[in-house]
Amino acid sequence: MNIDHGVLLPVLIPIASAVLGLLFLRGRHRALGLFSLLAILLSLASGGRLLANLARGADPAVLPIGGWPVPASIVYVADFLSATMTVLGQLVFALAIVYSLGCRDRCARDSAYYPLLLTLSAGLAGTFLSGDLFHLFVMIELVVISGAVLTARSDDPAGPEAAYKYFYMSTLAGILLLLASGCLYAAHGTLNMADLARRISAHPECPLGAAGMVFLLSAFLIKGAVVPFHFWQPDFHSAAPTAVSAALSSVVVKIGVYGFLRMTTLLFVPHAEILRSSLIVFGAAGLLYGGFAAAGTRHAKRMLAYSTLAQVGSILIAIGWGTIPAIAAAIVLIVNHALIKASLLMLAGAVASRSPEKSASFESIGGLGRSARAAGVLYFAGALALVGIPPTNGFIGKLVLFRGGVELGRFGTVALLAGAGIVTMIYMLRSFARVWWEGPQGGIEPKPRGDRLAAPAVLIVLCLALGLWAEPLLDLALRGSVYLSEPAAYIAAVLGGGS
Amino acid sequence: MPVLIAAGIGIVFAVGIYQILRRNLIRSAIGLVILSNAANLFLVACGSRWGLFAPYSGSPAQTSDPLPQALVLTAIVIAMGGFAFVLAVVHVVALRGRTGDSDDIDRLKN
Repeated sequence: MNIDHGVLLPVLIPIASAVLGLLFLRGRHRALGLFSLLAILLSLASGGRLLANLARGADPAVLPIGGWPVPASIVYVADFLSATMTVLGQLVFALAIVYSLGCRDRCARDSAYYPLLLTLSAGLAGTFLSGDLFHLFVMIELVVISGAVLTARSDDPAGPEAAYKYFYMSTLAGILLLLASGCLYAAHGTLNMADLARRISAHPECPLGAAGMVFLLSAFLIKGAVVPFHFWQPDFHSAAPTAVSAALSSVVVKIGVYGFLRMTTLLFVPHAEILRSSLIVFGAAGLLYGGFAAAGTRHAKRMLAYSTLAQVGSILIAIGWGTIPAIAAAIVLIVNHALIKASLLMLAGAVASRSPEKSASFESIGGLGRSARAAGVLYFAGALALVGIPPTNGFIGKLVLFRGGVELGRFGTVALLAGAGIVTMIYMLRSFARVWWEGPQGGIEPKPRGDRLAAPAVLIVLCLALGLWAEPLLDLALRGSVYLSEPAAYIAAVLGGGS
Repeated sequence: MPVLIAAGIGIVFAVGIYQILRRNLIRSAIGLVILSNAANLFLVACGSRWGLFAPYSGSPAQTSDPLPQALVLTAIVIAMGGFAFVLAVVHVVALRGRTGDSDDIDRLKN
């Protein structure tokens, strides 16, 4: 076992800084923002160190909290999947803080705003790094409460309603997760994920085990906003402050995706077949529903939120295929979608900040783009990436995904994915045309200054860089996928070799 | 005894689910609390498979498992914070919309 106390840092640094910021920098929002940015960059660096160690071939870093023997204590584990997701999450949160520093929202001047962003990122990192099912529940609750409070304080008048809806659904998901922990503990006598995986593959047909699996699956379906469980998501993501909605729609919905990856490749390997086929069905439903709903909506942020449903659907299909290239494609898609969707939502919010009503509906921002040409260039690049046109990272993602499907001979699903790509192109280009191409309607006078574009610019540059120089990410994803195909490696890393 | 516990937990679940399906915001918020308490009861019941004595008090063969009780303590604390937030948000929403009926709150239906 490779014990490394650095595994705690991506969780500890943001929480500690949130507390310190609230104690000493109350009311000084500029200083608080810069302090939070520093904290999140430190935490990003600590996550990057974990990932770099893994890439050099080290064992996954493990830390049993309190020094108790392993299956009895809560463990933090940074394997390939956890470390990648943590780095991705902290990166998006760092850029969300950069965006908040340059935005004109009133809620960003609140003393609680940056500390809540920090606790949100800490909860996200904890969710990915936790090796214990119940600790996962606690960390998800941290994410939920921080996200809901941030949305309730949003400048959008619908904020409290959206927060209520989200919190309600997430609490139900939390209860399902609690029930799943209870069932699995009663069936197998442990909550440590590695130990659980070992015992489930030894006794796949325990009573209550199947109930636990279904509860866990439904909890992650709600968290990931997968289609029949999605209805809170577009409201919530469009009402949140722009920086928060960018983080929520890009990395926080990935909690569900992470859960599915863990369930199919670690926890329920004996039942993976049935889980995978149901994920393909959910994914295809999301692809169809999300695409058409996005094409039919009249609100830019809401359109992007619906498009997240479709993108998560394609990730679920990749997880459902379950071969090594398909899982690698899923990891690439997770990274790509996070970068693209965060930048697009920030750009939509930046344009909305110039409209007198501060709303992102197409009636208020139609034609406003002429006053923000730089945002138009970035949005167009982001749209190309979302559709999957070279030279962007979206193209690379689609390429590996289609290759994975063709290798399996699933031509019907590949055709569905391609059709969904065309729908994506229609709504993305139409929104671009409505905001940047057509003239302003009805004498809307744009405000002279809007939110700054530094954060979305960085994200778009990353998208282009990953499109032009894709090997490092592809290589990492493929190694991660090979690693995920051997659950024994994770189990041995956590429980110690030989067992 | 196990049948009684199971039936009791089932009734609490049923009441909770009935309440969360109501239109009134306060009633559905209360339903959420009932449901989370039902889940807590279920967890405690999971730990009582071998006996109902508290740890370190009866004979070791009949004590209940302390781990689910620790989990329930954590879950209760989280649920309390969450419920305080839900009530605060319901208050704001009801004041702004001047109604407690979830059908009349339609700011998000656009």
